[in-house]
Amino acid sequence: MTLRVSVEPRARPALPVRLGVPVASLAAAGLAGAVVILIAGASPFEAYRTMLDASLNGLRPLTRTLVLATPLILTGLAAAVAFRMKVWNIGAEGQLYMGAIAAAGLALALPPGTPKPLMLLVILAAGAVAGALWAGLAALPKAYFNTNEVITTLMLNFVALYFMNYLIFGSVSFWRDPEAMFPQGKLIGDAAQLPIISHRLHYGLLVALAAALVLWWSLRGTTWGFELRTIGDSPAASRYAGMSVSGKILSVLALSGALAGVAGAIEVSGVLKTLDPRAIATELGFTGIVVAAVARLNPLGVVPVAVLLGAVVASGTSLQTAGLEAEIVFLLQGLIFLFVAAGEFFLANRLLLPRTAAAVGSP
Amino acid sequence: MNDTVLVLSIVSAIVAGTPILFATLGEVLTERSGVMNLGVEGMMLIGGVTGFWAGVQTGNLWLALLAGGLAGAVLSGIHALLAISLRVNQIVSGLALVIVGGGLSAFWGSSGDSPLIQSFNGVRVDPLLPEALRDLPAVGPILFGHDPVVYLSWLIVAAAAYFLYRTNAGLSLRAVGEDPAAADAAGLSVAGIRYLFTLVGGFGAGVGGAYLALAVLGTWQTGMTAGAGWIAVALVILAGWRPWLALAASYVFGALRTLGFTLQIAGVEVPSDFLNMIPFVVTFLVVIVVSANPERARRVGAPASLGEPYAREAR
Repeated sequence: MTLRVSVEPRARPALPVRLGVPVASLAAAGLAGAVVILIAGASPFEAYRTMLDASLNGLRPLTRTLVLATPLILTGLAAAVAFRMKVWNIGAEGQLYMGAIAAAGLALALPPGTPKPLMLLVILAAGAVAGALWAGLAALPKAYFNTNEVITTLMLNFVALYFMNYLIFGSVSFWRDPEAMFPQGKLIGDAAQLPIISHRLHYGLLVALAAALVLWWSLRGTTWGFELRTIGDSPAASRYAGMSVSGKILSVLALSGALAGVAGAIEVSGVLKTLDPRAIATELGFTGIVVAAVARLNPLGVVPVAVLLGAVVASGTSLQTAGLEAEIVFLLQGLIFLFVAAGEFFLANRLLLPRTAAAVGSP
Repeated sequence: MNDTVLVLSIVSAIVAGTPILFATLGEVLTERSGVMNLGVEGMMLIGGVTGFWAGVQTGNLWLALLAGGLAGAVLSGIHALLAISLRVNQIVSGLALVIVGGGLSAFWGSSGDSPLIQSFNGVRVDPLLPEALRDLPAVGPILFGHDPVVYLSWLIVAAAAYFLYRTNAGLSLRAVGEDPAAADAAGLSVAGIRYLFTLVGGFGAGVGGAYLALAVLGTWQTGMTAGAGWIAVALVILAGWRPWLALAASYVFGALRTLGFTLQIAGVEVPSDFLNMIPFVVTFLVVIVVSANPERARRVGAPASLGEPYAREAR
């Protein structure tokens, strides 16, 4: 009998393990963050209390958190649906920009007298279409040439970013306010603005929640979802069973891009009221990948995780009173991502202590 | 002669391509072992901030590059642990590295009493060779006008190519990347070799980031790599996992990244946003073209086990 902990793969862990491991990962990330805060010369206790206060304590902080969680739910879903099929769409960032550009463009182009419901429907649809098309640029080569989509979606992020910058900072485009002294976008009309629930919280949240529900149901309850999950687990077997893998790559990436595009449209319509490249390029797409990973690609899980990360982002600026730079927020996100990734090992494998290992007859 | 557009643009392409070269070459070696580390952007950033800090502290270029390389290697060690030992999905782990590296470098590089804020780096990056050589027409600036790090990078590329194709150790590395089970059966330590070359790749990316901060930009800025790490990941594919092609590809992309400068001295006006876009558009297109031709895609083929964790008992 050796005194080594042995590792054994397991199929599907029990519910307590499935919930416990991510929670333990989050706790570990919080501890690691505390160490960094200590090294930076501040009190972790103070910092975390400030963050809690700034993000969850009271109606105003809570609405701020939910405003930030709204796009993160959508980008989290965008990553979750693609990753579930092992299609690595790292391009939610750029798809979100293109959605924002399209939504702002239509909001400015349509007559101001357009009825609000129609206007909102059109700009959200425009965001979805633009995001889907932008993702399609990577989806087509992936589907037909098996081109590495990690690289293509990522390159398209930068292209979209510079294109958006060009529209506002690099030219006097249709999007830019010609009167303003400093480069900035034109304000969209009242009809194009999402109505407010409370404080700055807008009805985009409901759109995001609805998307999460629909996606959750589609993945579990439809043939489309079944095929998507099957292809994710085994593309070769799925092809043998007669599923169209390339068709599915196109539809999944388009859907993923559409979700990110809607996030961009909602940011313009509900929060910024204009195409503001600096305010929109805040890594919402990348944070969505973290959200999806923590939620273990479950669309319903994406919602609470997005709220949690929204709270982390919302509390960033408040940390300056605790003597910390707002950049710590990115670090915390990274730590969460890292520990959650490590946690996957404990979900996929069972650790056997020496005694149990001997009992089951392992070497 | 030596201040013509062509000569100046080739020189600036080499300067701008050198950080990408270190990162690309490191990733070539990592991927040759079968490990894909997408975290190059994060490792370059952490290498950049550490190297710049070390440069400010010591004023010594070599110590600064070493510090940057070590910082990149430490970060890549996390990827090694996750990807090799814990067999976590390598794409997820690599992305986590990008976010951690970006966050940590931004946090360290901007915290209140950080010595990095508005500091000049005290490191001198001088040309290596005597002026007489550097003043030769055309070949002077292009071949003889560089700082020692550029020449070192050429030596390292040559050494890496020799190592990969002409030594037993290089054969072992390639064997682990192509067929880890066979390599394991032949008595090689698959995990050991993968750990080592993941760290080597991280060291390369860290050195690249440090060189970028110290010699190319001359300062530290949050997010200073602006996608250079991702370009490096793509160049590994374009270079077909070969060291000399990595050098050529890095300089081509150095040229694309400095195209604005080149066009400016040539008197052509193009909006800067479109200039910034070009390396990414070109990468996007070239990756597609490479994959679109199945004959070619097979010839330049990736290491067969790239991205797949290896576990002996899983056979």
